[in-house]
Amino acid sequence: MWATNLRIIGVVLGTLALYTLIANKIPQVQSEVPRALSLGANVTPEQLVSAGDQLYHGAGGCTACHGLGTRAPNLLTDEKGQGPVGARCGKREAGKDCKAYLYESLTSPRAYVVAGYEPIMPEMGRILSPQQLWALVAFLESNGGTVDVSASDIPSSTTSTTSTSSTPSAGIAGGSTDPMTIIRGAGCTGCHKINGEGGAIGPDLTHVGSRLSANLIRESILTPDAKIAKGFEKFKGIMPKMFGNQLTAAQLEALVQFLASHK
Amino acid sequence: MADGMLLLQAAADTANAYRDFPWIGSRAAVWIAAEVHLMFAAFVLGVPIFAVVAEAIGIFGKDQRYDRLSKEFTRLLLIAYSATAIWGAVFVFLLSTLYSGLWAYLTRIFGPSMWVYVSIFFLESFTLYLYYYGWDRWKYGRAKIVHWCLGILLNIWGTIVMFIADSWLTYMMTPPRDITPQTSPASIKIWHAILNHTWMPINIHRLIGNVVFGGAIVGAYASYRFLASRSDEERAHYDWMGYVGNFIAMSALIVLPFAGYWLGREIYQYDQSLGITMMGGFMSWLWVIQAFLIAVLFLAGNYYLWVGMGRIPGAERYQPYTKWLLVVLVLGALVWGTPHTMIADSRELAAMGGSHHPLLGALGVMSAKNTAVNLMILATFLSFLLYRRANIRPTVPWAKAGTRIQAAMFVIAAGVVLFFGIRGYFVEAIVRIGYSVYQVGAVLACIVFVTLIDVLMARGAQSLGAIQWGKMPPRSQYALFILAVTFTWLMGLMGFARSGIRQHWHVYGVIQDMTPYAATPALGYAAIMISTCVLIFLSLVGFIFWLGGLAEKSTFVPSTVEAPHVGH
Repeated sequence: MWATNLRIIGVVLGTLALYTLIANKIPQVQSEVPRALSLGANVTPEQLVSAGDQLYHGAGGCTACHGLGTRAPNLLTDEKGQGPVGARCGKREAGKDCKAYLYESLTSPRAYVVAGYEPIMPEMGRILSPQQLWALVAFLESNGGTVDVSASDIPSSTTSTTSTSSTPSAGIAGGSTDPMTIIRGAGCTGCHKINGEGGAIGPDLTHVGSRLSANLIRESILTPDAKIAKGFEKFKGIMPKMFGNQLTAAQLEALVQFLASHK
Repeated sequence: MADGMLLLQAAADTANAYRDFPWIGSRAAVWIAAEVHLMFAAFVLGVPIFAVVAEAIGIFGKDQRYDRLSKEFTRLLLIAYSATAIWGAVFVFLLSTLYSGLWAYLTRIFGPSMWVYVSIFFLESFTLYLYYYGWDRWKYGRAKIVHWCLGILLNIWGTIVMFIADSWLTYMMTPPRDITPQTSPASIKIWHAILNHTWMPINIHRLIGNVVFGGAIVGAYASYRFLASRSDEERAHYDWMGYVGNFIAMSALIVLPFAGYWLGREIYQYDQSLGITMMGGFMSWLWVIQAFLIAVLFLAGNYYLWVGMGRIPGAERYQPYTKWLLVVLVLGALVWGTPHTMIADSRELAAMGGSHHPLLGALGVMSAKNTAVNLMILATFLSFLLYRRANIRPTVPWAKAGTRIQAAMFVIAAGVVLFFGIRGYFVEAIVRIGYSVYQVGAVLACIVFVTLIDVLMARGAQSLGAIQWGKMPPRSQYALFILAVTFTWLMGLMGFARSGIRQHWHVYGVIQDMTPYAATPALGYAAIMISTCVLIFLSLVGFIFWLGGLAEKSTFVPSTVEAPHVGH
C-alpha cells in the first residue's frame, strides 16, 4: 500500500509541479499600481516624457489596447499613413491643438473615438492623477511631435492617485461660468447636440428645458444613469459621472439654468 | 496647508486600515485562507448535490448501491464541514485583522446579510446531521422520501449561503456604478449592493462548477479506494463509483463554459476596461494556461473512458476509432491554446513580425477557438456514446437507420461548427460573436437528439456481456487523480482571474488597495500560490478520506447484478 500511496503523491506533486513550471516559463507580466508623481515647478519636458513613458508601458495599462492594431489606434507607430500620435494629434480636431486634444482624449475618450474603433477606452481621469495625465500627454507628444507641456499646465501637487479627489478645484474650462464654454470644455458636444452643434450619441439638448425640470437636469449631470432618456437605453453608462467633482458649484448652476431655459 | 492636513489624515487612515502578516505577508495569508476555504466550500456544496441525485436514483431506480454511495459521501461531508468552517473562521479573522478598513467598509454595507449567513450555515449544519444520522432510521417508504427531502433542503441552505457570500465578493468586483469613493457605505442600500452586475452569473457559474468539482473529488476518492482494495468485489464497487464521479464531472464541465461566457459578457457590459484587463491585458497569458488545463481535462477524461472500454465485452468494435478521437482532441487543444493578442514589447513585436504571429495568429482568434472547443466537446460526447453502447447490440428494427441518423447528426453538427468557424473570418466582429450561438446550438442539439435516439435504441437490446467492473488497469485510476488535481488547480486559477481583474482596488473604482501588495502579481507567483493552496486542500482531503475509512467500514455492497451505465 505504501508503494501505491507514494505513487499517488508522486502523480499529485508531479501534476502541480508541471502547472507551476509552465506558469513560470511564460512571460511574466505584473499589473503595477499607478505611482503618484510629485512634479516640481521646474519640471523639465524630459522628466515629463520619461514619467509618461513609464506610465504608458506600465501602470497606465495603455499597451493592453494601443499598439496591437485591433482594439485601438497605434500611438507610437504609424496609423494609416498618418504617422505616430505626436505627428497627427494637432490635425484631429479643428481649432484644437495637440496638447488639448490629447488631454481631452484621456479624460473624455468617448468624445473623440477614431473611426473604425469601438468606444472602449476608460476615462483615465478616474484612474490617474492630473500629474500623471500631463506626463502621458508629454510622452505621446514626444512620439512624432513637439513636447509643449510645461509645469504651468500641471495643477498644484497632490499625491492622490484618484482623479475624483485630485481634480483641479478651478473646475472645467478654467472655471468659466459661461454655459457654452463649459459645454464645450466638458466635451458634452462629443455626444450631445445643442443648437445644431455636437454629436448624436446622447439626447439633443436644444429643447431640453421643455422636457426636464432644472432639478432633473441637475440630477442627469450629477448621476447620468439615474434616469435614461427614452430611446437611449443602450447608451446607459457611457456618460461620465465625474462632473459633480469637476464642475464648481457656480458652473453647475450656470449650466443647469442655461439648459432649463432652452425650452 | 489644507493639502498637508489631507495627507496626514490619509496617512493616519492607511496606518489604521492595514496590518502585515509575518513572513509571507498579508496578501498571501488572506489568499491561502480564502482559497482553501473556497475549495472546501465547493466540496461541501458540490457533494450534497451529488449525494441527493445518487439517493434519488437509489429510491426511484430501486438500486441500493446508489443509496449507499450517497451515504458514504455524506459521511465525508461531516468532517469536511468542520474543515470548511475552520478555514472560514481563519479567513474572517485574517481579513478583519489585516485589512480592518476594508472589513469595516464591507460590514457597514453587508452586516445584516452576514448575520443571515451565519444563521443559515447553522441550519445547514444541523440539516446535514439530521440527514446523515437519520439515514438508517428513515430508510423505507414515506420516511425515505422525507429523508431525501432533507437532502434537498440541505442543498437549498447551501445554495443560499453561497449566494450570500457571492454578493460580497461580486460587489468588490463590480460595485453598482453610482457608488463612488465619496459614497458613504452607510448610505448604500444592501439590496442595491447585492444586485450588482456579476452576482447572478457568478452564482450560476459556481453552482455548476461545484457539481464538476464534487464529481472530480468523488472520482479521486473512488480511485484511492480502488487502488487500496483487497478484494475483487471492493475493487468493482470503487471502479463503478469512479466511473460515476467522472461521468458527473465531465457532463457538468460541458455546460460550464456557457455560464463562463455569461459571466464574461456581464463583466464587459459593466466596464469594458475590466473585460480587456481580463482577456487581453496583463492576464492574457492566463487563458493560454487555462486552455492547457482544459485540454488535460478532456484528454484525461477521454483516456479514462477509452481504457474503461477494455473491461466491456464488445467494446473492441469501437476501439479503432479512439485514435481519431485523440487526433481531434489534440488538434483542438493546440488551436485553443494558440495566443492571439498579447502584451508584448517592441522587441518581441519585431521578432514576431507584427502584433500577431503571421501563421499562428489566424488560429488565435475566437472563430478558430470556438470551432476547436466545440469539436472537442463533440469528440468527447462520441467517446461517451461508444462507451455507453459498447456491450449492447440494438434489436429494434430501425437500429441501422437510427445509427445512420445519429452519424448524420454528428456530421451536420461538425459541419455547422466548421462552416460558422470559417465564415467568422470574413464578417464583422459583432456578427462573428453571434455565430458562436449557432455553433453551440448545433452541438447541444446533437447531444440531446443523439442521446434520445440512443436511449430508445437500447430498449430490449441484446447484451454482449456484463461490464467487468474492477478489471481496470491502475493507470486509469491515476487519470482520475490528474482530473481532480487539474479541476482544483483550475478553480484556483480562475479565482485569481476573477479577483485579479480588480488590480489595485479592494472595491473596483471605489476603495484603493494602499498596501505594499497592491500590485496584482504575475502568473508565476500566482501559480506558486495556487499550487500551495491545492496542496494544502488535497492533503486535508486525503486526511478526511483516511478518517472516513477509519471511522466506518466502506459501504460497498457485494453485488450480484450488473452495475448499470449511468443514463441507462
